[in-house]
Amino acid sequence: MSAWRAAGLNYINYSNIAAKILRQALKTDVRAEAAKRDSTTVKITKWVDGKPIKNVE
Amino acid sequence: MWGRFGSLVPIGAQTTQISQQRGMATLKAISIRLKSVKNIQKITQSMKMVSAAKYNRAERELKQTRPIGAGASQFYEKAEVAAPTDVPQRLYIAMSSDRGLCGAIHTSVARLIRNELLKDDKNIKVVCVGDKSRALLGRTFGQNIIFAANEIGRLPPTFLDASLLADAVIASGYKFGSGEIVYNRFKSVVSYSTQTLPVFSLSTVQSAPKLSIYDSLDDEVIQSYIEFSLASLIYYALKEGACSEQSSRMTAMDNASKNATEVIDKLTLAFNRTRQAVITRELIEIISGASAL
Repeated sequence: MSAWRAAGLNYINYSNIAAKILRQALKTDVRAEAAKRDSTTVKITKWVDGKPIKNVE
Repeated sequence: MWGRFGSLVPIGAQTTQISQQRGMATLKAISIRLKSVKNIQKITQSMKMVSAAKYNRAERELKQTRPIGAGASQFYEKAEVAAPTDVPQRLYIAMSSDRGLCGAIHTSVARLIRNELLKDDKNIKVVCVGDKSRALLGRTFGQNIIFAANEIGRLPPTFLDASLLADAVIASGYKFGSGEIVYNRFKSVVSYSTQTLPVFSLSTVQSAPKLSIYDSLDDEVIQSYIEFSLASLIYYALKEGACSEQSSRMTAMDNASKNATEVIDKLTLAFNRTRQAVITRELIEIISGASAL
């Protein structure tokens, strides 16, 4: 088992962290463009028994 | 269209004008209505412009994303992964967005899932992406929803959005045999069709008959790939959905502006006719008054 999976990450987290590091390592002229892809607005709300549960965070 | 705006006439204006001919509103009432319809038209026109700009961008990005979706779904086809018969649990991911006024985009996604839920609501769980599908499915099938995601559709979807969703699907711990992502596939500016993309769980893929055509696969590679392909498929579906939504909104707003033009024409005609009637009546009053002297 690879180290990142042993640390509780799955491949999605792992590859996103790698992508983030890569974006930070880019040259300045392309970094700004790449940084736009490094954002998310999605909010997730869990539902239990037909009711949404308020996020604590 | 005509009848809908009829209710905007203040009741007081109608009762005070009983003496007038039936169906002839007062000048003031007509001009108020005319103004409001003109404002509505301005709004729909600018919404059309905004969505046209967004659509251009979405289409450009969709072209780049299509290979990702095609690549991810090729694997399931080549390995002939099929839904297992012993695990009846299924997952449906509804790809909609937060915003309305874009035709039947959200309802057609929700309808497809509702039809599946009506057949069998015990073994299906739903993930609602976007407020609209949640609103459509939440009331009747709230029990089947695992989680809902919102704040989608304001900005073009990014891979990070898709990763969050895929991560949440995996983290939800729901054991499904097979699943489907329901999304609107963009065909052209005027058409889209509601389609599904298959997703499968790890155990389903491991028992696929033709998995051996792929070389050097161990469980960990498959697991990593399943996770990544879920994110890719969600990303692709988000892009298709966003593009269909913008194009559909463009069409919807174009139609709304056209309808508004029609209403404005009719109202202008009615306004001029009424004005003429008022002038004629006043003239008659003056003339008959003068002749009575």
